[in-house]
Amino acid sequence: MKQFGTIFKFELKSYLKNKIFVGVTVFLVAAIAVVMFFPNIREAFADKESETSESREIDGVMLLSTGGVENADVFRQSFAEAFAGYEVLLSEEEPDVIKEKVVSGEAECAFVLDSPTSYTYYVNNLSMYDMNTGTADEILKTMYGFNAMVNGGMTSEEAGGVLGVQIEHETESLGKDQMQNFFYTYIMIFALYMVILLYGQMVATNVATEKSSRAMELLITSAKPVSMMFGKVIASCLAGFLQILAVFGSAILFYNINQAQWEGNVIVASVFDMPLNLLVYMLIFFVLGFLIYAFMFGAIGSMASKLEDINTSVMPVTLLFVAGFIVVMMSMSSGDVDSLLMRICSYVPFTSPMAMFTRIAMSTVPLYEVVISIVVLIGGAVGIGIVSAKIYRVGVLLYGTTPKLGSIIKAMRNA
Amino acid sequence: MKLELKNIQKSFGEKEVLKGISITAVSGRAFGLLGRNGAGKTTTIRILMNVFGAESGDIFIDGSRIDYAKVGIGYLPEERGLYPKKKIIDQLTYFAQLHGMKRPDAVKSIDYWLDRLEMAEYRNKRLDTLSKGNQQKIQLVTALAHNPDIVILDEPFSGLDPVNAMILKDVVKEEIANGKIVLFSSHQMNYIEEFCDSIAILNSGTIVLQGDIHEIKHNYVRDKLVVRSDQADAIAQSLGSCCFRTNDRELMVRLKTAEDKRKVMQQLTEAYDIDEIGVFEPSLNDIFVEYAKDQY
Repeated sequence: MKQFGTIFKFELKSYLKNKIFVGVTVFLVAAIAVVMFFPNIREAFADKESETSESREIDGVMLLSTGGVENADVFRQSFAEAFAGYEVLLSEEEPDVIKEKVVSGEAECAFVLDSPTSYTYYVNNLSMYDMNTGTADEILKTMYGFNAMVNGGMTSEEAGGVLGVQIEHETESLGKDQMQNFFYTYIMIFALYMVILLYGQMVATNVATEKSSRAMELLITSAKPVSMMFGKVIASCLAGFLQILAVFGSAILFYNINQAQWEGNVIVASVFDMPLNLLVYMLIFFVLGFLIYAFMFGAIGSMASKLEDINTSVMPVTLLFVAGFIVVMMSMSSGDVDSLLMRICSYVPFTSPMAMFTRIAMSTVPLYEVVISIVVLIGGAVGIGIVSAKIYRVGVLLYGTTPKLGSIIKAMRNA
Repeated sequence: MKLELKNIQKSFGEKEVLKGISITAVSGRAFGLLGRNGAGKTTTIRILMNVFGAESGDIFIDGSRIDYAKVGIGYLPEERGLYPKKKIIDQLTYFAQLHGMKRPDAVKSIDYWLDRLEMAEYRNKRLDTLSKGNQQKIQLVTALAHNPDIVILDEPFSGLDPVNAMILKDVVKEEIANGKIVLFSSHQMNYIEEFCDSIAILNSGTIVLQGDIHEIKHNYVRDKLVVRSDQADAIAQSLGSCCFRTNDRELMVRLKTAEDKRKVMQQLTEAYDIDEIGVFEPSLNDIFVEYAKDQY
């Protein structure tokens, strides 16, 4: 236990003194600060701009050719109201001339109405996000309906009232609101993914460095492999946790400072409105998931003879983790976080940290399922920790080519 | 203190690396563990240091089974290496603490040893800024700082310049004088002869020779004569196949039995102009080559 404490302190100090570790943390906190203070920054610039120019910013000119319909002015007014970003101009020119103007950039886009229910939309490059035809469809539908009602004997006020009727609705989610939870779950899963992969790799490199520099010759004769493995892994876990704490802590702090500025942003507000119990679950799954993977990475590091071998050696474990990540991400995107695959993944120790956390965050999971998942995960972490320490003990003494799994198992039996 | 390894047997897979070896070392004396590469020296050391266990056999200290919590072992491995990017004092303190020392005591002891090995100026430097020889001296501190009862030195002199070798010799002598059990493993027989009172030669996992170095030499069959003479050619011609030249003026005469030495010496001194004649005393190197050559 004393040895574990010594190793833990030494390793943690190494992380905290590491310039890259400190640099990355400072950079992330600074980046978060820039993002969270962005509304203030933008406001400061916007103030200056509004002092110099008061003109409204527009996307460009939209030409409207109404050759095929009556009441051109009414159409122009409706288009101008619906497309606030454009300067809508009536055009009586031929379609070819209009096309030329769009191609040359004189006009951003153009609508040529052939009849009250058909039109051609001209645009130079059709953006993925171009919704103009949808808006134009709505305008024409409304106009058509309005004209039909007025022709049928209704007054224009009555027709306007029918078309402009407001529907009131209310949604009451009795479980979780996926829309609200999606963003913070996404952020948390991504943080988990990044930290586990980065720190896992660091543990593997750390062990392989000790082996290749032959410091291991002395270490293995000075300390028990179990103390070494657990000391190293738990130190890296705490270092990773401290980094997350610094990033998320500063994000919460900066958000609270700028809360007034972010009130209108539903996504940001939902991220910082994370329930406390979810944070506790996050902590549990982060620690246990981290331990499982860091132990495996440590064992792999002990088997590599050269640092260059690390990248290829860790590939199977990395792929396992990435596969879990993809399953979780796809389930999150589809909204079906309780699919059979996700249910299975939420009990398998290698995937449960991400899968079960996602299910807890975005769905309603019975408590017993959560407990079973955590118990299995704890068992897995301890088991993998012990096996990894055994592999480590054998692996660090094997030099030359990276040993095969079979020879490691054989050596473990003999040791 | 008396260290005994009794009937240690160890296999890795199919290969039996140690075939029931037994060695004894006592405090205040240096013990040389000799053997060719792959003879089983490092495995013996690792079993002694509890890196892994033996399949059979036991290790005793003063007759009782070894208790690693009570017995301190210092080790200078043949494969040298520490943390190249870390400050010397930090890593030395780390290793001393791993051996159970409290931090203040560790720092005090490390400062003593750095001073003793003329390395105090490098205390706060990174290891990779030091020369190879100096790095080796730093590594020696890891073996000695926690004041171990047993000091294991594997090829301690390799890579050291004569001045540093002299400092290390003095340190080893001090450790022996302080009542430590010093275990030497080296291929440099001159150092073994200089320090070790007793040796064991390992060959393919078996001890083929063990005992007091002087007794081993003394008991070596005294059936060869070394003769130096300007008439070496004539002597060689007259003695025929029982003698062979070692250089222009020197030859070695193999006797039928050790009892013949007086008679042959007399005959040669009477018949030829002999500058020097005597019984051949083997060096440790000769003994080592003889006992370790048949490995594999």
